[in-house]
Amino acid sequence: MSLEEKLEKWRRLEEEAKEIRRREADWKFIEGLPPRQRAALKYYVETGDIRTSAKLAGLELEDFRELLRKANVPVVV
Amino acid sequence: MSPSDFAIADTCFLIDWSYWSCRDVLFKLFRAIFVSETVLREVKSERAVEWIATALASGQLALYTEAPDVMGLATRIVERSRLVPGLRGVDLENRGAIMAVDLLEELSGVVVWRALEVIRGAIKRGFIAGDPEQVFKLYEEETKHRFPRAELEAVISELRGEAREVAQAGGGGEGD
Repeated sequence: MSLEEKLEKWRRLEEEAKEIRRREADWKFIEGLPPRQRAALKYYVETGDIRTSAKLAGLELEDFRELLRKANVPVVV
Repeated sequence: MSPSDFAIADTCFLIDWSYWSCRDVLFKLFRAIFVSETVLREVKSERAVEWIATALASGQLALYTEAPDVMGLATRIVERSRLVPGLRGVDLENRGAIMAVDLLEELSGVVVWRALEVIRGAIKRGFIAGDPEQVFKLYEEETKHRFPRAELEAVISELRGEAREVAQAGGGGEGD
């Protein structure tokens, strides 16, 4: 498989992951959060980048993972 | 998939894995599992810390201190990963590490297991019994983790196929 084909495979997987995160997220809960946490969760739903998201939220990594659970946003890997 | 002598666990894996009721099966798959000081510092919850502390005390986990040369190598891999368009940063999320070994020639000898591969390995070696689909479903429910559907279905199909072969071989033996 060429590099381009591999990148396309990963792009498809990331699209699938994003769709799952968007579909399962508790948007009502997310919209009720303080602005910083709300923005971080929306960033995570779109990117799956947990470390940058945790920094945006101003939380430690595990605290942000717990916030993901409360918001029903799955980690898709 | 063959059993390995040792593995190194990362933070996100340990946090999610600690939520699973079958979490201790991890220790049957490897002779030693290393947890780096950096990872240990990131684990905060009582659930995860207690599980890790118990495993450290019993020798199932081992603390690993990153030497300067290892940190240098890690920095070079992070830099390298940022130079490939489309490759996620290996320092930002688990998918980045999995992508890196798939895309970077110099890392092709590295094996990265997600929970998907760990559970697959545990089922294949008989450490977890039951229908594979139900095992993965339980993991997803208890951890709020999701596996990519196509990859999950492929693994379930593989495991069920192997189970059928074993059953058929066993049935033939009884009839002989």
